[in-house]
Amino acid sequence: MHIAEGFLPPAHAVAWGVASAPFVVHGVRSLTREVREHPESTLLIGASGAFTFVLSALKLPSVTGSCSHPTGTGLGAILFRPPIMAVLGTITLLFQALLLAHGGLTTLGANVFSMAIVGPWAGYAVYRLLRRFDVPLMVAVFFAAFVADLSTYCVTSVQLALAFPDPSSGFLGALGKFGSIFAVTQLPLAVSEGLLTVLVMRLLVQSSKGELTRLGVFLAKKQSRTETADATEAVAR
Amino acid sequence: MLPIDAAAHSSRWRRRHPVDKAVLGLGLTVLAISLPPWPGAALVLVTALTVLLGPAAVPGRRLWRAWRVPLGFCVTGALPLLLQVGGPDGFVTLAEGGPVRAGELLLRTSAASLGVLLFAFTTPLSDLLPRLVNAGVPAPVVDVALVTYRMSFLLLDSVRRIREAQAARLGHTTRAAAWRSLAGLGATAFVRAFDRATRLQAGLAGRGYDGTLRVLVPQARISVRFTLASAALLAALAALTLVLERPLR
Repeated sequence: MHIAEGFLPPAHAVAWGVASAPFVVHGVRSLTREVREHPESTLLIGASGAFTFVLSALKLPSVTGSCSHPTGTGLGAILFRPPIMAVLGTITLLFQALLLAHGGLTTLGANVFSMAIVGPWAGYAVYRLLRRFDVPLMVAVFFAAFVADLSTYCVTSVQLALAFPDPSSGFLGALGKFGSIFAVTQLPLAVSEGLLTVLVMRLLVQSSKGELTRLGVFLAKKQSRTETADATEAVAR
Repeated sequence: MLPIDAAAHSSRWRRRHPVDKAVLGLGLTVLAISLPPWPGAALVLVTALTVLLGPAAVPGRRLWRAWRVPLGFCVTGALPLLLQVGGPDGFVTLAEGGPVRAGELLLRTSAASLGVLLFAFTTPLSDLLPRLVNAGVPAPVVDVALVTYRMSFLLLDSVRRIREAQAARLGHTTRAAAWRSLAGLGATAFVRAFDRATRLQAGLAGRGYDGTLRVLVPQARISVRFTLASAALLAALAALTLVLERPLR
């Protein structure tokens, strides 16, 4: 769900831009370091950006029978990590604003905050947490995509409620209104995106294990095992 | 190619420098959100439409198809402004002044969208992205954006063909088949994106790739006349808004 061009008052648009800036700058630094150390990564990260853009253009059948678009933030965060996703998400949102008239330039900061920062970080945190507790990969992937999708829409509701407080009940009343329209109706879509992400990941595990290893998707599991082994050794000593 | 970008490549203002068009298009957007919606955003809306359909010669049908996307969101987003929660007359009631607030929001959003569409319909991203380095965006980020931009069209084309092939094999006839097809589509897009990146890397390595992507950018100069005329138009709109605001109220 993109906030459309001109929807936010100027002060809010600037404030969300300022809030997003540190995360995007951090992502840009990570990306620049990666590209300087491995020049060939430019093409791989660019391809990842194109994949994210195309993924967000796929039509997703909703449980309610309607149709929507996946945010792709959960899958993107698992595959490419949240800092890189902050940059790829920003590029994708810029392209969507200029090529598809989805979102906008004055609302870019707010959309980046919800879709390229909160969504990926929330999804990735859930993914790492579940993997740390040895939850099966596909279950972790489902919840990562579900949480990433839902948190994106919840943040969008907060952004809109802050911009347009209810005349009677203020921010909380507005949050209830926007939340019931956007976030609650997105629950089935979040389930749909979780299911779709699991199906995509299953196919990727079968067909692109090399790429997934290169991206470090399986590293998290190995790391947690190594960490567990180190901890066991430390206790034994 | 996506419709807006295709229109930008064949635009009458294609050869103008992006800065010229940014001053006008994005200036209108900034005015739309900064000025009072009535009459400011209304004036911006009329001006943007006139420039889009007149001097910029954007086809009306293409413009409507692009414009209706943000309008749909705006209508959905403006609906909650009509209601209020927890007032003395009941839990959910019609908000006093709600229709006016919703109308002002619609006016502001539709005018601001037209400003960005004016820029988007006249400026291909391939003209804009390489110039972002001059605006202080790090070169590696611009390179990644360029690869993303060029590869997006290839991937979208691949996805369209795969979807057609899936439909021809009755891959969308049942709900379960549609889900399987959609998952296959997402996974294939990933595999193709990485395959293309690997092949592109091999091709560039053979040509002495050193990490920087050099692309030809059509030469264009910033037109002082066009920029000054745009600034004058924006100033006139702001002044007219301030003059009209009081008598109309």
